[in-house]
Amino acid sequence: MRQRDPLTLEEARELDALERALAGEPVDADLHELEALVDDIRATAPQMSPGFAARLEHEVEEGFPASQEQPARRPSRRWVLIPAAGTLAAVLVALVVVLGQSGSDDSAPGIANTLQERGAEDSAQTSGRASKPASPSAATESAPSGGGASATADPARAPALSAAPPPRTPAPPVTKSGQPRRVQRTADLVLRVPTAKLESTADGVNSTADRFGGIVAASTVNVDDSTGGEASFDLRIPTQRLDDALAALSKLGHVAERRQGLVDITGSFESAQDRLSDARAERRGLLRALGRASTKAQIDSLRARLRTVRSQIARLNGDLEALRRRADLSSVSVVVRGGATNDDGDSGSGGDWTPGDAARDALRVLEVIAGVALIALAVMAPLALLAAVVALAVRAQRRRRREGALDPA
Amino acid sequence: MDAPQNTTTTSFDALYRDSARDLYAYVRTLLGDDASAEDVTALAFERAYRRRSSFDDRRGSQRGWLFGIARNAALDELRRRGRAAPLIGELPDELAPAPEEEADLAVRRTTVRVALAALPARDRELVALKFHGGLSNAELAAVLGTSETNAGTRVHRAVAKLRKACHAPA
Repeated sequence: MRQRDPLTLEEARELDALERALAGEPVDADLHELEALVDDIRATAPQMSPGFAARLEHEVEEGFPASQEQPARRPSRRWVLIPAAGTLAAVLVALVVVLGQSGSDDSAPGIANTLQERGAEDSAQTSGRASKPASPSAATESAPSGGGASATADPARAPALSAAPPPRTPAPPVTKSGQPRRVQRTADLVLRVPTAKLESTADGVNSTADRFGGIVAASTVNVDDSTGGEASFDLRIPTQRLDDALAALSKLGHVAERRQGLVDITGSFESAQDRLSDARAERRGLLRALGRASTKAQIDSLRARLRTVRSQIARLNGDLEALRRRADLSSVSVVVRGGATNDDGDSGSGGDWTPGDAARDALRVLEVIAGVALIALAVMAPLALLAAVVALAVRAQRRRRREGALDPA
Repeated sequence: MDAPQNTTTTSFDALYRDSARDLYAYVRTLLGDDASAEDVTALAFERAYRRRSSFDDRRGSQRGWLFGIARNAALDELRRRGRAAPLIGELPDELAPAPEEEADLAVRRTTVRVALAALPARDRELVALKFHGGLSNAELAAVLGTSETNAGTRVHRAVAKLRKACHAPA
């Protein structure tokens, strides 16, 4: 057992005397006994037998050739495997997390987008096979029955979308009467460009609208160096050229967002047509009745009703024309935002991979590596601490067991 | 590359020459029989030889390092044979006084031998490390895994017990 009581002065003096006696130095007269004790113990020290001394001498000279234990065995370092295993586990976890994140950024919206488009496409193809449309003109762009469908481009998908063409319009299905369905198409496009390119991109939007036979219904351009500026456009693009126009617009900058919508206006169109037919039939009946009228009162009454029906026909023609125009010209909203970068760090150059992009990609890779290292450290540090504690405990336990050999049974 | 190895070998050789007899005396006192003492002494030197490149002089003297190795080997041997209890009270073979010694001296040394053999194993080990091994308190502390002050205290207590046992009536 350890004795931790401090020595008294007398005991310290005795200990000092013992040290001097062991060193062969003189001690105080009252402690000569210690000198004698040292002499006696040393004189009675066990001595090696000559045979063993010679054998040991030989072993030492030969470098212990006939080893009693395994030669040069390194101390066990298996505990080092614990942090190593922790590091490996952390790296695997980090990879799963990183890959999972990239998958959720890129794949999931892509799948959702594809499913939305495919759902509309399948429906359209089914209808198309059942009854082939005669002439799917621009004015008769169709949508699946039941309203609209939309395709939305997520900003995370933007780099891929900026290079890829927008989703194509599905083949036009037809109504029960065999008439092509009437749809109104809309599109919203958000582009990101460097501030310096904002005005040239705005010009590009105008010229693209002209090139595809469209018109710019409204536009605003606001250049602000501090915020990057913004330009917005309300375009009307011929529906038959909408896809090409969107592809051309997408090439003007980095596509941060894109939505397309389809609104089925077949019901409204057919309703207006029916009402117009009814009004025309009524007008024809009134004209025939007017030809047969004999009294002034009858004639005045019929003429008044004719005026009403004519104005009704004119209004219905206007409604019908407006509906035709909605089907013929798609409404495209384009917003061009100026700024240094977008969410992904892309400069918005529209797909060209520049040295700047490479630098940003490299930075991103370094960020991911740093993240992985941080996670690894977070996992490894407690494991290393635990391993150290276990190693210390094992060492203490081994020492205690050894020391126990000195205790009486 | 050979120079450090040669230096180490030379250093080990010097260590062997300087400490072989003291080490054996310590191990023999601790274990109580010649055969085990020889085995453990040889094993300690062999282990020291194999591990000589791992010796770090910042952690203590070479002599203390060697005695630490020997102590571990001796304690393992004690554990193998089942504690040190049987050793207490055992008298080594050389307890018989040498015929050439003076009568008084012979009696005194026999008394010391008997008293030392009767000490508890821990105290006997301390006396052996101090008197046979010639270790300083710092070296003792390194071997025992304690502080230098505690090592000194324990040595003093062990020697006090030995002195008391020597003065006790037979």
